[in-house]
Amino acid sequence: MHHARPHWPAGGVTPAPQTNRHRTRLAVVFAAMLLAVWSSTQSLPAGEPRRLTNDGRIKFTPVFLDADTLAYVDFEKPELTVIKRIKLSDGVVTPLHAKADTQELEPAFFAGGNRCVYLRARGTLSVSMVIRDETNGSRIEVPPENGFCGFRCPTFSRDGKRVVFSYAAGGFQDLYSVNSGSGKDRRQLTKNSGINNWPDFSPDGRQIIFGSTRHGNFELYMMRADGSDVRRLTDNPFQDLRPRFSPDGRQIAFTSTRDGNHEIYVMQADGSRVRRITGHSERDDYAAWHPDGKRLAIVSERNGSHDLYLLDVSSEARPTAAETTP
Amino acid sequence: MLDVGSFHAHTCSGVTRRSFLRLGASVPVAMGLGGIEQTLAAETQRAKSVLFVFLWGAPSHLDTCDPKPDAPAEYRGPFCSINTRTPGVHFTELLPKLAQRSDKYTLIRSHKTTAPGHPDAGTVALTGFEEKPEPVQPNFGSIVARHRGQSGYLPSFFSIARGTVMDGARRIEGYGGGTLGSSFDPFLVGASERGAVEIPALRLMDGLVPGRVNDRRALLKQLDIVPRTLENARFSEWHRAYQAAYDLLLDPRARNAFDLTREKATTRQRYGQSVFGQSALLARRLVEARVPYIQLNYSRHVEAITPGFEFGWDTHIYNFDLLQDLHCPILDRAFSALLDDLDERGLLEDTLVVCMGEFGRTPKINARAARDHWPPCYFSMWSGAGITPGRVIGESDRLGEHPLSDPITPKMVGTTIAELAGINTQARAEMNVLDGGSVIEGLI
Repeated sequence: MHHARPHWPAGGVTPAPQTNRHRTRLAVVFAAMLLAVWSSTQSLPAGEPRRLTNDGRIKFTPVFLDADTLAYVDFEKPELTVIKRIKLSDGVVTPLHAKADTQELEPAFFAGGNRCVYLRARGTLSVSMVIRDETNGSRIEVPPENGFCGFRCPTFSRDGKRVVFSYAAGGFQDLYSVNSGSGKDRRQLTKNSGINNWPDFSPDGRQIIFGSTRHGNFELYMMRADGSDVRRLTDNPFQDLRPRFSPDGRQIAFTSTRDGNHEIYVMQADGSRVRRITGHSERDDYAAWHPDGKRLAIVSERNGSHDLYLLDVSSEARPTAAETTP
Repeated sequence: MLDVGSFHAHTCSGVTRRSFLRLGASVPVAMGLGGIEQTLAAETQRAKSVLFVFLWGAPSHLDTCDPKPDAPAEYRGPFCSINTRTPGVHFTELLPKLAQRSDKYTLIRSHKTTAPGHPDAGTVALTGFEEKPEPVQPNFGSIVARHRGQSGYLPSFFSIARGTVMDGARRIEGYGGGTLGSSFDPFLVGASERGAVEIPALRLMDGLVPGRVNDRRALLKQLDIVPRTLENARFSEWHRAYQAAYDLLLDPRARNAFDLTREKATTRQRYGQSVFGQSALLARRLVEARVPYIQLNYSRHVEAITPGFEFGWDTHIYNFDLLQDLHCPILDRAFSALLDDLDERGLLEDTLVVCMGEFGRTPKINARAARDHWPPCYFSMWSGAGITPGRVIGESDRLGEHPLSDPITPKMVGTTIAELAGINTQARAEMNVLDGGSVIEGLI
């Protein structure tokens, strides 16, 4: 199906249909439109962002290790992606693995950064998953099958005993888990249903939110940690990507292209009260909750450069007119 | 390390056998210095410059410019389609800026090639002919360079990348002069994501300080210490490349052409802080300097996510992720900026811009939830040089597997480029190139 939409819209709201029957309704619609236009002109309605990096290189997948340490992937050279850490307090950036000599991607952490799981390019279009003890450097490397093959988006369960990840086989990309201590005991959580990606555990460890194309384009879904009881949270013709539970589990931050380009949104954990957090003609993506639950680290493209920003999304922030049902 | 303005190149003060050998495998030769022919009358040259944007590794046509939203789920992919400025023509949502500029180019959706693998398909895409039987035919750029000769201060054929385009460790045979000889190989120049320009031929010269760039005798003396055993054909090839590069450095006009800091910050930002973005800006400056042929490579390597290699379009795994998160945003921004910039400067009237890969990718999603090679159907974009924009030529079938009309072959691409560059049938016959080629009907 084809879906028309405005390009680089000034706003994120499609004008509501008008009717001549009820003046009151017209007035409400008009007021809503005015509010929509106003809100769309606010570049970051939830508060002014703090810029964390200034190198402008392409970056991916920020994730907090603790309240002062943010890890992310830096496209350091055209042939090398490097996992780095930045301290919010002083802005100092250090590589996570000083001797990394190949592309490393998509880190996730457990126990304040003592354990890390990430992806590592090991050969031609062959990407393994590495579970590493950052305190002593010991690691388990889980290789993909032979040929062109790779893991995606690993993350620890809340108790640290399992690693959940995305893996493609048979034309589908499903979610699996393995024992984090051995890399073995693989269990399939989703089964043969499009591309499933970006798993993230609820703080109580009972739920996993993820993205899936099982109904066509990427939408967000929730299921129990064992893969049962799948529920759909979003439904629109465009992409909903990279969901992340807030530290208290009540909200989910995610990326969506529903308003014309990649923007950050926050909704309640049941999928209700979607509100747009960013509103810029360039890309905002890769939301990561700060442990205080009031701020998000994101990667924003501004003037063609990509940097990390920290923005306030606390409950005091005014809801925007883009607030909708899912 | 040499740094002249923003120009940034590695040179050497100590040539070692090891570094020489490392270089020898990757250094391109140089410029159209010999065999100069008279150019055709100016009125037959609709394209003073040709800019061939090579999407090396091959982008998926279904996920970019030829979406199939009504195809079954195992074909169509997750992206929705959006309007372009051309009525009835849709792109996927990954290329919104290019969709809004469809009135600046003509889209072809019915390309077909013969070779299933990158090395051979790369050669076919750049020459119109397969590698075998030998001899390897010349790159389209070498044909233009041979026809034009070198009339200016810059080489006639540039290839913009951080080295010769490769598939794995293998250089693409069709990268250069072929039957016309290595004198018509491209001059290689690369750019970093911050706009530092690098000449790979000088990469050997590590340690050269800026003040010595004018001390030619000192440099040549350095070369004299190269062991005599290296004075073979490869050494001659490298030495010619080096000399050409060095001569360029001595010419302030050439340094000016390479100096991206002369651009306004807003202009550089328009193209984006990426290797391809800044390389596209460099390409525009070379067009301004009236270089006859510029091959702008998206990446040096085809492979996506492979140790030591740049990220290319070869997305056997992670196709949808890489397109959405890396390749398409970079291409959409940089190529749109390039078209706008050329247009605003009045350069598009007599510059031909062609953008394409070496084949398409499998319409049916593969076992790794990605897409493999697909030679039977792919796309290109053509702009400038009098081509009527805003049209679509050719159509693929319901699943994007095959052209519905007569397919457009790489040889037709080369022949059309040659015609627009003023190289007519007779001139091609005299060079013994593009034998049997025909122009793309309806394009010119």
